[in-house]
Amino acid sequence: MQKKILSFFALLLLGIFTFTSCNTGQQTGNNSVVTVSLNGWGDQVERQLLQQILNNFEAKHPNIKVKYDVIADQYMDVIKTKLIGGTAADVFYLDASEAPLLINHNVLEPLDSYINSSFDINDFQPQLLNAFRQNGKLYGLPKDFATLALFYNKKAFQAANLSQPPQSWNEFLEMSKQLTLVRKKDGKIEQYGFGVSPELARQGFMIEAYGGKIVNHNDRATFASPNSLEGLKLTVNQYRQDKSSAIPSDVGASSGNEIFGQGKAAMVMEGTWLIPYLKGTFPNITYATAEIPTINDKKGTMAYVVAYVMNQRSKHKPEAWQLISYLTGKEGMQAWASKAFVLPTRRSVAAALNYDTNPLYSPFIAGSAYATTWQAGENLPIITNSFNNQFISAMLGEQALKSAMSKAQETANKEIALSH
Amino acid sequence: MLSRKKLVPSSLRQPRSLTLAGYIFMAPTIVILGVFTILPILFAIFLAFHRVQLLGENVYKFIGWKNFIRETIDDQVWIALKNTAEYVAIVVPTQTILALTLALVLNTQVRGKRWFRIIFFMPTVTSSTVLTLIFMWIYNSNGLLNNFLSSIGLPTYNWLGDPDVALKAIMLMNIWSTAPLFMVIYLAALQDIPESLYEAATIDGASRWDKFIWITLPFLQPVTFFIVVMGIIGTFQLFDQSYIFSRGSGGPDNSTLTVVLLIYQYAFKSLDMGYAAALALSLALVIMIVTLIQRYLFKEESH
Amino acid sequence: MKYFHWSKGLLYTILLLYAIITFVPFAWALSASFKPLSEIVAGGANFIPQKFTLENYRQIFFQEPLFGRWLFNSVVVAVSVTSFNLLFNSMAGYALARIRFPGNRFWFFLILAVLMVPSQITLIPSFLILRFLGWLDSYQGLIVPSIVNATFIFMMRQFFINFPKELEEAAALDGLGHLETFFEIVLPLAKPALAAQAIFVFMGSWNNFLTPLIILSNSEMFTLPLGLNTFKGQYISYWNYIMAASMVFTLPALAIYAFFNRYFIQGVTFTGGK
Repeated sequence: MQKKILSFFALLLLGIFTFTSCNTGQQTGNNSVVTVSLNGWGDQVERQLLQQILNNFEAKHPNIKVKYDVIADQYMDVIKTKLIGGTAADVFYLDASEAPLLINHNVLEPLDSYINSSFDINDFQPQLLNAFRQNGKLYGLPKDFATLALFYNKKAFQAANLSQPPQSWNEFLEMSKQLTLVRKKDGKIEQYGFGVSPELARQGFMIEAYGGKIVNHNDRATFASPNSLEGLKLTVNQYRQDKSSAIPSDVGASSGNEIFGQGKAAMVMEGTWLIPYLKGTFPNITYATAEIPTINDKKGTMAYVVAYVMNQRSKHKPEAWQLISYLTGKEGMQAWASKAFVLPTRRSVAAALNYDTNPLYSPFIAGSAYATTWQAGENLPIITNSFNNQFISAMLGEQALKSAMSKAQETANKEIALSH
Repeated sequence: MLSRKKLVPSSLRQPRSLTLAGYIFMAPTIVILGVFTILPILFAIFLAFHRVQLLGENVYKFIGWKNFIRETIDDQVWIALKNTAEYVAIVVPTQTILALTLALVLNTQVRGKRWFRIIFFMPTVTSSTVLTLIFMWIYNSNGLLNNFLSSIGLPTYNWLGDPDVALKAIMLMNIWSTAPLFMVIYLAALQDIPESLYEAATIDGASRWDKFIWITLPFLQPVTFFIVVMGIIGTFQLFDQSYIFSRGSGGPDNSTLTVVLLIYQYAFKSLDMGYAAALALSLALVIMIVTLIQRYLFKEESH
Repeated sequence: MKYFHWSKGLLYTILLLYAIITFVPFAWALSASFKPLSEIVAGGANFIPQKFTLENYRQIFFQEPLFGRWLFNSVVVAVSVTSFNLLFNSMAGYALARIRFPGNRFWFFLILAVLMVPSQITLIPSFLILRFLGWLDSYQGLIVPSIVNATFIFMMRQFFINFPKELEEAAALDGLGHLETFFEIVLPLAKPALAAQAIFVFMGSWNNFLTPLIILSNSEMFTLPLGLNTFKGQYISYWNYIMAASMVFTLPALAIYAFFNRYFIQGVTFTGGK
């Protein structure tokens, strides 16, 4: 009996040690081939696409293998935990809004010394590069960006006798009302005019429409100022008074993408990611895009930029640079942007892909000229959290917008003070 | 190694070999508990008195009681406590009563007890992840609950988007999955009550209700107390469901923010490990006090 | 025990009602696992799928290359943790109950003290310790900290205390040392307690979410609860895959439970009767 038990455990231990060494074995590899690890996010389609591009890279660089892992949920939490735990990848995606924190803590490798003239850094759109510059050093190379544009369902527009998308915000509000259809049988609303996302990341340009700002120069929240409220009021009133817009969860969807794809809203303001999503999941929707209607006679939209950054503690920096420079080089970026339906950050690539003349993409490209970049210092996560919590309660009518925003601003600034 | 002692009666066994035997048996426990339980507890106490910075370079700065003072002025702590208190106040009585009711019913001459027990236990043995996911789908605006309601003509609702509902949904899930465990404990206790008591009461002319109030309930008092305390301790530690339900945010509008979720957020979202450790210590203190009260009032060593 | 003399009908009604309420969510999940995503999203409360499909199950095993790996990780961790726990907890419980060695009382009280400390305190420091050891994202990181459990050491100790005193003396007369006594005689007699312990420890490890969440960031090393959560994703919810994966994860646990039902109940009453 004793023998049986002991031999079982011996086998078990042997098994575990085999597996654990299998795992670490992959990382050391043999001397001539270096493995660079890459983390990003993305759905199945994106994953496969990037894998193809990585395969091309590996073919061109036989001494480098890329281990690509997608983080599917809570990306930044996982990245930060990995950075603390010492298990972060050599190269990873970083959104501009999260960059200030990591840059401030010196966990990213400055890339200036790796860039040579053949890389053609001036090909990049300057405001996108600047999102990753601090104190004169460049910490990441933007790989793609997205702006928000108005998506509208052509069938719904036809049914409501509308031929053109709205140009001004007032027109937009009117059309939303016309496009909100009530089912006669039970009074349930079948289609809303507009699917709204009540999050700071989407409402940022509304705040700025009348001169408000999300943060001041000390990185403290200022979104409760009267100018900011002017813009936010538009969103809240459309939901509460006009009742022509819906939050995704109102109709059982989890995002603006879903609400539009399911046909439950005739218009949404989303980024270029919606295009492949519709093609893959809801191919029967006929739609078109347009620039976001002007507010206060000014154009506005949001821009989201993502860069490849290098882990400052990477043990394979030269190889990591090879990977980054390929992926953000003209060839790599063109391969990515042409199939992933994102906007390239290199002007030459945008021209090569004819994005500015393509009717589906031109509103996005036009938007990049006047967009508000989604970035506001290292406290943005705290500010976003606080804003989102209170803004939704203003939307639901539980409090007035002014008091909700004042409360949110106070809470955010208090937390920021406490955490320093 | 100990076979030298083959023919020596136990009374003559030398203490040294007992010591050796004892520690050999205890060795794995001592090492593992030492490194992964005792050491962390000490480390947590250390962390709680420091400002800890781990992103980039490691910084540990002693700040005395500041973390604990911050707890008292941190709105989120109070919200989490309020949520937890609300949660405890509703879940513990409900699951206790439900457990008792089910136990009482199962304790009669009904047939198929084994099958009922198996079905009742399904939520208990299912992982909280799976339960939460199933419930999130049922409560979805497009899901089973709304479809059922509309099929019988009742209005539907956006359950998940309403802060008031989210926490209650989690409560329901937990009552549902914990009550069976307590039901089994009640069942065992019910079977310990001597029949003779009931027979005597019948002879004295007591009604069924009287028997229940005056015999059954008093007998069940110690067990009930045990269940209530275990329930309180368990509800204080709620994490999985609120994390999955709210995708880690504690929303909508902080309605699903529990103390453990708050600790997790401070540790792994805000990377404020010192403060998170202080919160964990405070939580532990509260739970330990509750446990001590239980043990004091019901001197458990007299088993 | 017939004192609760309501009509049989009422009793059965209560039981059946609760059984149905309990069963419906599982039945719903099972049926959803056989429906395509479009049918699930379209609403409708039909339990029998209109478009029955095995595609979801096929997808999660073949398209999501990590699903099999996640299942494997869960199995490896749960089996290892359970085996080691059974051995080490019993050894420690036995020593505390039956071996008079110096420090016995001290270690016993220490274990009682540990019992009172909730696990959340050790979360962050454990993470830091594992990071120091380089054990994040590894099997040993998931397994080693959990191979001993104070609750079950306590349970085994209480169990062994009640053994007849003559046991060791008889074994000693037969010339058996402590280790041999333990393995050949004591352990076989402890089968009920071991079975209860095995079920609890296995379930605990199989369903554990928070610990792997903190220790693992490499998706290859995820256990299935984490993997299921990532299916949910941030923007798009593949409910059909989630339900199929949930079924794959839950059915083994349910099967084990149904099969070992007797021991489970014994074990609950045993720990409950402290």
